[in-house]
Order: sequence, then structure tokens, then C-alpha cells
Amino acid sequence: MLAHMMALESPLVQAEMVEATEFPELSEQFGVSSVPHTTINRGKGNVIGAVPEANLLAEILRSIAA
Amino acid sequence: MTEFLNDNVKGQVREALAQMQHPVQVLFFGSKENCDYCNDTRQLVEEVCALSDKLSLSIYDTLSDAAVATQYHVDKTPGLVIAAKDGDEITDFGIRLAGIPAGHEFTSLIQDILLVSSRNSGLSEQTRETLQGLKEPVNLQVFVTPT
Repeated sequence: MLAHMMALESPLVQAEMVEATEFPELSEQFGVSSVPHTTINRGKGNVIGAVPEANLLAEILRSIAA
Repeated sequence: MTEFLNDNVKGQVREALAQMQHPVQVLFFGSKENCDYCNDTRQLVEEVCALSDKLSLSIYDTLSDAAVATQYHVDKTPGLVIAAKDGDEITDFGIRLAGIPAGHEFTSLIQDILLVSSRNSGLSEQTRETLQGLKEPVNLQVFVTPT
């Protein structure tokens, strides 16, 4: 939901909610073992669990700077 | 055909959707092959979209409507795009769901519809400012399970 809020806010942000059991190969690719698991720019960053918006934002900024 | 949503759930969804401020377009993408949940997902969103006159639904196939799927960056089926609709204009914010929105994700689907309908992210001022300053694309994929 937070990811979708960010997508609404910024034209540069795309956010897809993925049903993990229907897409096991993708889930495996990003090492998803517990949900929610957010992956940023296809593995550049990962956030496990539901986190406050500041935490997700910080990980996004870290991922694009890396 | 048996409906997924019983009268009780329909009543709750209708009540939630009564909060919609602006129209929303739901785009469904299915495929005839290798898609166990396409038919169920299509039926589910058809039932939901019938519960508000501010909701419109369009149905696409990722093979026969490949250009539309590419335009909306849909590469999984079933896939849903929740977009804004203003007159004939559809605005895609990059809000997508892959897989059937059942269980917890059904709530997410309704929340996404209300979010897009409000045209307001509800994020803090600081988060908004930081996001407005982004210079490059950010792709978020949130893995969830229905239970």
C-alpha cells in the first residue's frame, strides 16, 4: 500500500504488488521468504516487513545512490 | 455462475466505494495460456467494478493486446492496473497488482481504488518533497501472500 502511495505521488515511481505464491520464480530470485518483502529496482535494495514510510524512502535513496 | 462476493461482502465493498471522490479505471490483463487465476481474477474485478458507478473496467489480453500491456508495463498475468479516469483520459500512476487479489490482497485492491480515487497519496510532506526530487526511475515490487 505504501509503495502504491509513492507511485501515486511520483511519476518516476512504479509499484507492483506481487502475489508471491503465483510467481515462485520471481520470489525466489529476490530471496522472498517472509512477506511483505519489497524489492527496489530489481534487487538493488530490499525491505523486509511493513515499515514506516521514512524507512522505505531511506532504502530507496540508498538503492539509487549505490 | 457462482459469485465470489456474497451479499454481505458486497454491501461492505459498496459502502467503502461510496467514499470514492473521482472516477477510477481498472485495467485487467489476462492470457489464455498458463494462467491459473486469470478467469477468477477477471470475475472478481467484474463483481467489484459493478458496485460503483465511479469504477470502469477494461479487459485486455497480454498476447492479443500486447501493445497495451507494454504501454502499462504489465508482464504478468493476471495483472491489474489501477488508473485515474477523467473524462476520456486515463492517467497511469504505475500502480499494479500481479496475481489474484484474494484474502488480504482484496482489501489492498479496495484501498488502491480509494487511493487513486482520492488523487492524493496521503504521504507526509517530507516524503512528498523527497519523491518530487527523484531524478531516476524507481521500481518497487512488493511480494505478498493472500493469507
